[in-house]
Amino acid sequence: MIALKEVSKFYPPTARGAKPVLAVDHVSAEIEEGEFVCIVGPSGCGKTTVLNMVAGFESVSQGEILVGGKLVSKPGPERAVVFQQPSLLPWMTVFDNIGFGLTLQEGRKTRQRDKVAQMIETMGLGGFEGHFPYQLSGGMQQRAAIARALITEPEILLMDEPFGALDAQTRADMQKFLLAVWERLRPTVLFITHDVEESIVLADRVIVMTPRPGRIAETIDIGLGRPRNWDMILSPEFLRYKKEVLTILRPPRDASQNAG
Amino acid sequence: MGYSYMASDEIEAESAESALEQNVWKADKKAYRGYVPWLVAAVMIGLWWGVTALHLFPPTSLPSPGSVVHDFIVVATVGYSGEPLLTSTLYSLGRIATGFIAAVAVGVPIGFWMASTEWVFLAIDPLLQFLRPIPPLAYIPVMIVWFGIGETSKVVLIFFCTIPIIIISAMSGVKSVQETRVRVAQCLGANKRQLFRYVIFPSALPEIFTGMRVGIGIAWTCLVAAEMIAASKGLGWMIESAGNELQIGVVFVGIVMIGLLGYGMELIIRSVEHRVTPWKGKA
Repeated sequence: MIALKEVSKFYPPTARGAKPVLAVDHVSAEIEEGEFVCIVGPSGCGKTTVLNMVAGFESVSQGEILVGGKLVSKPGPERAVVFQQPSLLPWMTVFDNIGFGLTLQEGRKTRQRDKVAQMIETMGLGGFEGHFPYQLSGGMQQRAAIARALITEPEILLMDEPFGALDAQTRADMQKFLLAVWERLRPTVLFITHDVEESIVLADRVIVMTPRPGRIAETIDIGLGRPRNWDMILSPEFLRYKKEVLTILRPPRDASQNAG
Repeated sequence: MGYSYMASDEIEAESAESALEQNVWKADKKAYRGYVPWLVAAVMIGLWWGVTALHLFPPTSLPSPGSVVHDFIVVATVGYSGEPLLTSTLYSLGRIATGFIAAVAVGVPIGFWMASTEWVFLAIDPLLQFLRPIPPLAYIPVMIVWFGIGETSKVVLIFFCTIPIIIISAMSGVKSVQETRVRVAQCLGANKRQLFRYVIFPSALPEIFTGMRVGIGIAWTCLVAAEMIAASKGLGWMIESAGNELQIGVVFVGIVMIGLLGYGMELIIRSVEHRVTPWKGKA
C-alpha cells in the first residue's frame, strides 16, 4: 500500500531574492494493494514530481510517504519505475536489459535465463533477445522497459507517462497489453498521464490534479468493470467520466475568469 | 465485434517486421565511401608533383615526390646517419605507445575520481588547467634535469602532454551519464559498485574514446620535442637533425611517416571504438 500524507514539494528559488517554487501542495492519497491508480493533470502540475517522490528519486519537503508502512527515503527494488523514454541501457542486448534486475540481485550475469526468456515471450519480443535497443521500434523498446520493471516481480509499478512518446495506434496496443499483464500479476500501479482517455481506460481510480501548485482537485472511482472491453470507450458511461474529468481540468469560462 | 485486450499478436509481428526493415535499410552502404579518400590522396600528390615539375619553388625547399621516394628508399635501406628508418620508426612507436598507454592507465581513474568526489576535483582541476597550456618544448630542460637523457624523460614528456585530455574526457564522460539511466539502476536495486560497472563506466566510454583519439594526435605532435632530448634514433630526431643539415627530402620522409602512422593509429582506435561502443550516436 502507498500512503501520501500531506505531501508538499518546494524547489529552491530560481533567481536571487525570489520565493521558493511550490510544485506540489499538500497532496494526500492512499493506494490499496493491487489497485490501478492514474494521476491525470496538465503538464507542469507536479504529477511527475509526485511519482519521483514515491520512487525515492526526489526528497519530500513536507509531509511523508509510506510504502508498505515504511517511510520512503531512497529508491528500492520493490518499487519498479517505467519512464516516459524507454531508457534501456544501449550497451546491453534486449535479453540483458530485461534480466538487468535479476543480474543486480544475483551479483553476476543472471542464471535465471528461463525466467527472462519467458518474459521475452510474454512481451512479444521473441527473436529480438540478441538485438540492441537502437535496433528496435519505440513501442518494442517500451515493452522491453516494462518487462525489465516486471522481471523482479515488484509489488509496486510506478509509470511516468510511459506511452506519451508513442503514436496513437501503438499507444492503444500498449494500454491493452499493460492491462492484460496487470490482470495476471496484479501489482499496485501508480500511472501518471496527461491523457484523460488513457487514465479512464486503465484505472480503478483517477486522481485529477490542478495546475501549479499541484493539488488534488478530485478523485474519481471508475466503475467500468474488469476485464475492460475496448468497445466501452464509446459507451455513455465512459463519456460521462471523460466529461467529468475534463470539466475539472478545464473549468467553464466564467469560473476560470473568477479564479484569474 | 467485441475484441478483448489480449489479442495483440498481430501488432507485435508488425512492429518486429518494421524493425528488421530498418536494419536492411542501414546496410545499404554508399558506393563513394570506397574511393573518395584515395581520390583525395591522388589529387594531393598530383598537385605536389605538378608544382615541383613547373619548378615554382627551388628543390631545396620543396622536393618532388620522386626525390622523396628516392630518399625514402635510401633512408629505409642505408639509413639516415647510420640509423635505418625501421629502427627509428620502432623507437618512436615504442615511446609514443608507452607514454600514451601510461597516460590512459593513470588518467582514466583520475578522471573518474574527480567526477565522483568533489574535493578531488577541487584539488586536481587547478593543477590540470595550469599544466595544460604549457607547450611540450618548455618541459625539455625540466625533463632532462629530473629524468636524465635516457628513454624515461622522452616517455614522461609524452605522458605529461597527453594526460590532461584523457583526464578531462573521462571526467566529462562520467558527468554526461543520463540521469534516467542512473535511476533505472537504482530502482532495480543497484549498489554503488554495480551502478558504476553497468551504467556509469559504459556511459563514459564514448567520451573516453574521443579523448584517446585526440590524445594520440597530441602524442605524435610531442614526438619531435621529446626526441630533441639527446636522442640518436627516432622519427622526430631524424626530422630535427636532417632539417639542421638542410636535407629537406629526409624531413619529408619523416613527416609522411608520422602522418601515416598517426592515421593508422586513429584507424585502430576507431575500429576498437566501433567494436566496444556500437551504440554510439544511436542512443
